[in-house]
Amino acid sequence: MSDHIVKAYDRDLETLGRRIAEMGGIAEKMLAEAMDALAVFDVALAQRVVLTDVRLDALQREIEESAILTIARRQPLAIDLRECIAAIRISGDLERVGDLAKNIAKRTVKIVGESRVPRAIIGLKSMHDVAALQLKDALDAYAQRDVERARAVWTNDAELDALEDSVFRDLLTFMMEDPRNISFCTHLLFCSKNLERIGDHTTNIAETVIYLVTGEPMPTERPKTRPSNIDGENPPGSPH
Amino acid sequence: MMATPVPTADLPNKITVRNLDFFYGDHRALKDVTIGLPTNRVTAFIGPSGCGKSTLLRVLNRMYDLYPKQRAEGEVLLDGENILDPRVDLNLLRARVGMVFQKPTPFPMSIYDNIAFGIRLYEKLSKSALNQRVEDALRGAALWDEVKDKLHMSGLGLSGGQQQRLCIARSVAIQPEVILFDEPCSALDPISTAKVEELIDELSERYTIAIVTHNMQQAVRVSDYTAFMYLGELVEFGETDAVFANPREKRTQDYITGRFG
Repeated sequence: MSDHIVKAYDRDLETLGRRIAEMGGIAEKMLAEAMDALAVFDVALAQRVVLTDVRLDALQREIEESAILTIARRQPLAIDLRECIAAIRISGDLERVGDLAKNIAKRTVKIVGESRVPRAIIGLKSMHDVAALQLKDALDAYAQRDVERARAVWTNDAELDALEDSVFRDLLTFMMEDPRNISFCTHLLFCSKNLERIGDHTTNIAETVIYLVTGEPMPTERPKTRPSNIDGENPPGSPH
Repeated sequence: MMATPVPTADLPNKITVRNLDFFYGDHRALKDVTIGLPTNRVTAFIGPSGCGKSTLLRVLNRMYDLYPKQRAEGEVLLDGENILDPRVDLNLLRARVGMVFQKPTPFPMSIYDNIAFGIRLYEKLSKSALNQRVEDALRGAALWDEVKDKLHMSGLGLSGGQQQRLCIARSVAIQPEVILFDEPCSALDPISTAKVEELIDELSERYTIAIVTHNMQQAVRVSDYTAFMYLGELVEFGETDAVFANPREKRTQDYITGRFG
């Protein structure tokens, strides 16, 4: 894309993109460290994750403010307007990713004394592997304005949903085996829900990238692997 | 939100331009322009200075006929009739296709006569019918309340925004079918601009409107369709929302986002 006649306009938009990249880096790191802390019950690391969230929140407010200022000052159209809207949306999603990672870290601090079934965490690790890779791909797709990559992220979210179902069944089994596992496993259940939600926010980011590049409205239907009755009716035994 | 193709099928076009070329002496200012202006809709023409948008507007009521060495080739159909035909009655044409210019151009006469002057050229009305027509025109241009008590003061004594609305009233008074606006707000303050835009909105219920503007936001606000012109060519034409949200042509995108083409 060629440059704007008004150079400060280019700088405004570049700054937005750079701050999104910075937020993305922080969110990725928070997620990785939250999961590391959970794996080895590292309270200090978990507490650092909780503290990092402050920076992420501040960045989101900055991005929102400067996007609004850019809209007010430059009255952007077409691709430029989509840049501003995309920055607002993506920063919102990354802020939520940070919140969810922070929540995992907080739960780690709570369950640290009662690591009853360490193998219960294995499923969460697989979920994290997928979620982290998806988040990285979505952020790369944003940085490179890569629609194909964004579409792939969008499609792959189904994998994370399937993993969550399997983690849910495992945790249910552990709880039925021994009721003393219930508190521990319930915390892990929330962690798995958090990872699944991180996947949803990642999918949102991918959708925003598609909108940003193509100008097309985002698809309304997301790919799902779960049968629709589980999504809709919450029968007993389903995670929803 | 891709810009939709030329919507000729959806709406009947009040004016259809076909393969229009225009020359200032040897200089070819319009190149093979083909476009339709949908009936009772606002079509905005945007593009950098010298792109031919004002030239195109001047062809639509043959304003160029007033100048030597200017000529148009091609077809401009108003309700199917080619107005480039030399046999066309120009006075009648300009009564059907009114024009409002960049700078307000009130006649040096009273507010009342500014309006009545044009009517008297085309029609013989009784005094009361004429009064009524003047009032209707001033109301139609959202100026009546401001001038009803000073109709016999000079039109030149009005503010710029009021003068522009007086000119719009003058166009409306002779009951045209099409109104051409050539940058009608570029000399006006924001409040007067808003009033004129509101007026264009209302007028579009009864008239087919073409507006040339350098103000992109104005084009977004007032028009249903937008044509982007560059170096005498029509580059892109489509629904305004689509053209400004997601233009098909790179040149359009570069222009509306303020980049070098």
